Amino acid sequence: MKKMLIATAMLLATTALANAEGVLNLYNWGNYTSPEMLAKFEKETGIKVTVTDYDSNDTALAKIEAGGAGFDLVVPSANFVKIWIEKGLIQELDLSKLPNHKNIAPEWMNVDYDPGRKFTVPWQWGTTGMAVNQTVYAGDVNTSAIFMDPPEELKGKINVTPEMGDVLALATMYMGGEPCSEDAELMKKVRDKLLEAKPSWMSMDYGMEDKMATNDVMASVYWNGAILRAHLRNPDVKYGYPKEGFVVWMDQVALLKDAKNVEEAYKFLDFIALPENAAMISAFARYANGIAGSEAFMPDDMKTAVEVVIPQEFKDKGHFIPTCSPKAQEYITAIWTALQK
Amino acid sequence: MKQFSVTAMPGFAFIAILGFVLLYVPILTLVTYSFNGAATMTSWGGFSWRWYGAAWANVDVQSATIRSLVIASWATLISVVLATPVALATTRTAAFKGQSFIYLYTNQTLVVPEIVPAVALLIFFAALKTWTGYQGLAYLIAAHTMWCIPLAYLPIRARLEGMDLSLETAAADLYATRWQTLRHVTLPLLMPGILAGAMLCFITSLDTVVITEFVKSAGQETLATYMLGQFRRGITAEINAISTVLLMLTIVLLFAFFFLTRKRAA
Repeated sequence: MKKMLIATAMLLATTALANAEGVLNLYNWGNYTSPEMLAKFEKETGIKVTVTDYDSNDTALAKIEAGGAGFDLVVPSANFVKIWIEKGLIQELDLSKLPNHKNIAPEWMNVDYDPGRKFTVPWQWGTTGMAVNQTVYAGDVNTSAIFMDPPEELKGKINVTPEMGDVLALATMYMGGEPCSEDAELMKKVRDKLLEAKPSWMSMDYGMEDKMATNDVMASVYWNGAILRAHLRNPDVKYGYPKEGFVVWMDQVALLKDAKNVEEAYKFLDFIALPENAAMISAFARYANGIAGSEAFMPDDMKTAVEVVIPQEFKDKGHFIPTCSPKAQEYITAIWTALQK
Repeated sequence: MKQFSVTAMPGFAFIAILGFVLLYVPILTLVTYSFNGAATMTSWGGFSWRWYGAAWANVDVQSATIRSLVIASWATLISVVLATPVALATTRTAAFKGQSFIYLYTNQTLVVPEIVPAVALLIFFAALKTWTGYQGLAYLIAAHTMWCIPLAYLPIRARLEGMDLSLETAAADLYATRWQTLRHVTLPLLMPGILAGAMLCFITSLDTVVITEFVKSAGQETLATYMLGQFRRGITAEINAISTVLLMLTIVLLFAFFFLTRKRAA
């Protein structure tokens, strides 16, 4: 009992400590933060970073909007950044405190959801495309037909990631539209095509790094970094960029308006904008990071990997998913619901 | 005439066995693969303790485990202390007006989906956190206690309903005060119910994901939310190892309960 009291007292006290000097509370996606990078930051600055996990943009938004949770930094996805700004939950950065801000790669500096990167510093970016095991299907992997019009060899062996936005964007582009389309006729076609393809799918699930590597799933709509990790374990796994259009996404770090450890947060933001530190983030989760010059510090198996370096011919086929209009969102949700039945 | 028995229905054994298989095969798979030597979850690479070692050495798992246990212990203690008098008050008195209201009120969390109190508590506690500036574990303990109270209340009440009043009446006949009767007669007889309630509460608290995810402040990862956070990235057998340890803990608690109550019943 006494031990329990002491343990409780210590735990109850952690928050009091958390607001003292030299700490930082990062609210990030689970298993997404390189422990080596955190150790290096702690060694250089003496600031102890506590990472707390979330598993969706919506959870993070709901918690921060309610307030009082005690976080300093959050890592929203591109299509959520505008919402965070409009709701006044994150603050504009004082760029004079971020000398490394200039390291942000030019193509990532003027993104339309945060022109000039006044609110966010890139964390990692990646693509949602196709992964195929080439021992089963040796044809073209750079197409969404893999899951929309599955080739005979792959039927019953395909997984589709349960990410509504990504899957609907890929499907809409495959049918010739733009993500977040409000065209009812086109969205009807998208729905019918998806429902027609679904019987050929095996599952709608996460965890494909493992299942692709062990040949349990032969094709999947998935994220490039996870497929790179699968490819390193099983060279038969190949990543493809659908030529009809694939999804580009980015997660970036933003400073919360009610952050208590603002100075520490600036140090962290500046730290991750330094190429060698950004490379550590990439080495952990295997995604690119949007900091110019970080490639030189990346592990050798990432420098030329097709999963990370988008081939020239597909570069203009990548699309950010914008924040959809309510009408477009309604179509998307309705199709997704039909697909889940 | 032969009495009707459900066990004599055709296909009973088949359905029963199928039920057990469906319930236990996934758990057995989980336990088996926690001893997998390979780096993957789906192919067997020989027997190994490596994932137990990995989980044991993982500081995030350590702190989450301690936090989970502390929260569960406090939630259990407070729930039982609160639920016992409620159970006594709703069974050991003449029926009174509002009794069924108390019953419903106490048990409402059993019929409400977890997300509802989770969102309500998120908003309420967020206001409290901002107002008081205190962001500690007490919120999680309070939330788990609220979620636990009916689980502690129901077994205690069931036990009370099954206990006849004669021993307590006899104690009163022998000039025991109300307090002495409670202390020396009612509570010892009630102990199995209290233990059952406590164990249910403890296990539920370890298990609660949604409420915890919504109520936790910075740095308050519990084992359940830690595991949730691993899913997208792809989970390793480390999660199997942690789950197996939790499963063992549950089984030990259930056995402890079984033997404790058997001794008392004998």
